[in-house]
Amino acid sequence: MGEVNNCRLPDDLHYHVEYNVWLRDNGDGTWDLGMTDIAQSLAGAIIHCRPKKVGKTVRAGRSIATVESGKWVGPVKAPFAAEIVARNDAAEADASILNRSPYNDGWIVRMKPLEGEDPSALLVQGEAVLEGFKEYMAEKGLEECVHCDGFECD
Amino acid sequence: MTALNVTDGPEPGEGPRAERAPELCSIYADAKYQEVPRAEKQRLFDEVKGDMRWSETLYGCYECGICVAACPSARFYDFSPRVFAQVMAREDVDGFYELLNDSVWDCSQCFSCTRCPRQNNPGGIITIMREVAVNNGLTSAKDALKAYSRIIYKVMSTGTQVAPDMLQPDFFPDWGPDVVAVADNLDVWRRMVPPETLHTTELAWDVSEKTRLELYMIWKLTGNLEIIEQLDEGIFMILEEVMEELLEEHGYDIDDFESVID
Repeated sequence: MGEVNNCRLPDDLHYHVEYNVWLRDNGDGTWDLGMTDIAQSLAGAIIHCRPKKVGKTVRAGRSIATVESGKWVGPVKAPFAAEIVARNDAAEADASILNRSPYNDGWIVRMKPLEGEDPSALLVQGEAVLEGFKEYMAEKGLEECVHCDGFECD
Repeated sequence: MTALNVTDGPEPGEGPRAERAPELCSIYADAKYQEVPRAEKQRLFDEVKGDMRWSETLYGCYECGICVAACPSARFYDFSPRVFAQVMAREDVDGFYELLNDSVWDCSQCFSCTRCPRQNNPGGIITIMREVAVNNGLTSAKDALKAYSRIIYKVMSTGTQVAPDMLQPDFFPDWGPDVVAVADNLDVWRRMVPPETLHTTELAWDVSEKTRLELYMIWKLTGNLEIIEQLDEGIFMILEEVMEELLEEHGYDIDDFESVID
């Protein structure tokens, strides 16, 4: 488990630092996407998460979900062009799971990269993740991650 | 005060201060943002003074301080409405630029300062300056609005500003345990309000889709969406996607806006 200033970054995931998201390679040509511990800390207590509908395609850098906390709203961006093949209805029903379990129960969508997309080339793993997020946090002025009651990331 | 920022004119000591170019006499010559070109500061200054409301905001200030005494922000921040009146009356472009990038955001726009015996309106000067900061996508405007992205999103997508569910413990720690009780039972609290249009939790009152679509078209056609794109790309992206999907659902063609308005 990687860690930067109390922010957990599981080793088995791929990350896109600028968009502040993680991706899990399911090995069947699909990838799950969610917000990082850093993203949930920046957002504060999340009250709404609206993933895009299944069957929609998104371009790289466009939003796959809208996330709202008390006074903040922002898109969750797709690092590569993809079709949304599944979405986590539980995250829409109770968006606080994005705070509680950002890497497991709080996944947002499952995506299938469009032809010609190479997700691995756009994402980072290992040491680059820690370095990248350290810089990202400094830029955003986030000193450390904040975990709510019941937070888990095992 | 540190040395005057003399870039073009007599060397210090070459002549009496009064003979120098007027801009060298700025009381804010040691202001921040000296790296910003003078022409850029002047352009923004001229934009403020070119506003149609300008002629009714400032008549002349004799520094009585009544506006400061009345100003709630002056009690809590290093902020003074009198400085705005003074800097603008002096045409102090460096001072103006510093105000535009810093304390212009400390005003609560309550207009208590309009009790000025000269009928100056420092709050009105600030209104114009903020609009210029927003229209020009200044970093200070982006930073000031960052914490309120959901409010901007609500205003632009529904026409309602504050939503009951903004009452969250992490945003209102000053409410103490009360805010937890309110947030946890918001739906029940809202149902206690008699009019059905107020039984909403995600927005202040029920808004029809027709209203939302009309509102979106107004933002789009008046160039407000472009301003938002400059200020916060995330809000712009969400607004565009959410609203254009709504238009599509209703069978409207975004480029054929006349039919949408009809």
